[in-house]
Amino acid sequence: MRISGVIETARGLGAHDHMCWVYENPDDFRVRVREFLAEGLAQGQRVCYIAPGDFQAMADDLCGLDGFAGALQRGAAQLIPLGSTYPVGTVIKPDVQVSAYAAATQQALAAGFTGLRVAAEVTSLVRTASQLDAFTRYEQLVDRYMTSRPFSAMCAYDRGQLGEAATAQLACLHPSTNSVTPGFRLHASMSAAASLAGELDLGNVALFGLALQRADLRPTGGELVIDAAEVTFMDHRNLIMLAEYGRRNRVTVVLRICWRGAARLVQLLNLDGVRVEPLA
Amino acid sequence: MTTGAEAPACGLYHEAAVYDGDEQFLAVVVPFLQGGLDAGEPTVVSLDDKRTDLVRSTIPGNANLSFVSGQYDRPANVLRSVDNLLAGFLSQGARQIRILGEVPHPGVGVPWDWWARYEATVNHAFAGFPLWALCPYDCRITSAAVLGDVAQTHPYLATPDGRHVINERYTDPAVFLAQPRSAHEDPLETSPPAIHLVDPTASAARRAVLGAASITRLTEAEVADLVIAVSETVTNAQCHGDPPTKLRVWSAPDRMVVTVTDQGTGPTDPFAGLLPAAKAPAGGLGMWMAHQLCNLVTFDHHADGFTVRLIAGAPHLPA
Repeated sequence: MRISGVIETARGLGAHDHMCWVYENPDDFRVRVREFLAEGLAQGQRVCYIAPGDFQAMADDLCGLDGFAGALQRGAAQLIPLGSTYPVGTVIKPDVQVSAYAAATQQALAAGFTGLRVAAEVTSLVRTASQLDAFTRYEQLVDRYMTSRPFSAMCAYDRGQLGEAATAQLACLHPSTNSVTPGFRLHASMSAAASLAGELDLGNVALFGLALQRADLRPTGGELVIDAAEVTFMDHRNLIMLAEYGRRNRVTVVLRICWRGAARLVQLLNLDGVRVEPLA
Repeated sequence: MTTGAEAPACGLYHEAAVYDGDEQFLAVVVPFLQGGLDAGEPTVVSLDDKRTDLVRSTIPGNANLSFVSGQYDRPANVLRSVDNLLAGFLSQGARQIRILGEVPHPGVGVPWDWWARYEATVNHAFAGFPLWALCPYDCRITSAAVLGDVAQTHPYLATPDGRHVINERYTDPAVFLAQPRSAHEDPLETSPPAIHLVDPTASAARRAVLGAASITRLTEAEVADLVIAVSETVTNAQCHGDPPTKLRVWSAPDRMVVTVTDQGTGPTDPFAGLLPAAKAPAGGLGMWMAHQLCNLVTFDHHADGFTVRLIAGAPHLPA
């Protein structure tokens, strides 16, 4: 079971979790990285820290992490300076990136670890509009990979450098995040084409539209099933957007949802392209 | 002056009839219904049980005669369902349709505000339909204020002596709807609200309503409806009104009353709430949905601005 929700620490995350940490204070960021990687080591995962700066600065970030020096020596922990992999201005290729992490996960498993856990400070990979667009598509793609393979990740972004709007575009694509700004989360699901959680209204309808547009949601049998069990409010604007998405992609959107208002709005608006399946 | 048989074959003929007992009621409605049936027109009756029985006992059954019960729940809903009804009849080849409907008012325990707006809106909403709509009002239980509104919202009057006359007091719907109306204040509003928020986000407003619902007997679905309506109303106030926006919530076991006040002048669309705005579905649906989801929505223009009142559960008449 993956952790889904707004979180306040990087603790308690499992082998399939995908978390977004938006920070303003680098010290806070380092605390969360140590929390996240320490639990990875404790769970027998190979842990990997990717960040800007050199090897020594990254090692300093993890100073005080129990058993980290030994983990580095025996290959249970890895430090990868971001600049060594991604030149400035790199626009990542989502599928290539996912393949790379899939291979790294396989290597970790082959080496006897229970999986791979990555903490990555990737602010410098989303500075431009084209970088951000590519990275958000990657976030959705890799999230799907994580649902079935033992790969967990913490994606950290500096709000001060990127701004609220950009970090919201990234945070909303993770099952768990410390950011309340997006108000909703759209991410991969183990049992449906996608999971949707939170509140959706006028304030974030544009963000939801962007997330849907970037999502490579995969219908089954002409239906796009969305697990919306954790949606607590969804206004007509967002339902209409979902219906439009279904119409453009020639699928019926099936919304599995506890919140009673969804069925009411779909009926009032005659949204033929959306079928609400109420959950108890 | 016209008669039933001479009623226009296209366009709306919206007519009120004021009666003082069964004899006058039948004197007006029987010729209306019989005329429709004789002409082969779809003829719909929507009355309370007592008067439905009276009509049934007087008019013989007919394939073109249909009875609808419980239609007058919420004005926006009635406008939507009548629109669908008319479209259905026209698609089946009808050239003229008749509807006899008694609109609720405080005389039968129902707040009037939004039904007054409904009666005015009918003239706009169905202007292009070949519809003869007759609205009888029992003067024994209908207040002078309601009858005043009835006179302003019906371009024609039917009289118990069989005449159909042009109503000189009829007022253009947009003009009528722009007139200040006396506020409907629920008796709960005489006590301090359980919640009073200034400039809440829509999300905070929703949480406030959910919190205040815990002491009520409202169903989960009723509360969800109110939450949607409040969310849309607060959003409207913040997008189109002038700050600050004030949210007040009162709860009782049988109902919730929510008022949303801003310092603006209210919607510019006179039919806001009862009909979807012209820009729908891209916008303009919020107030319309609130009118479909609540058991009462009132608009109150006052010196301090504009207040929308939303009631879930059982609305009470003003104290």
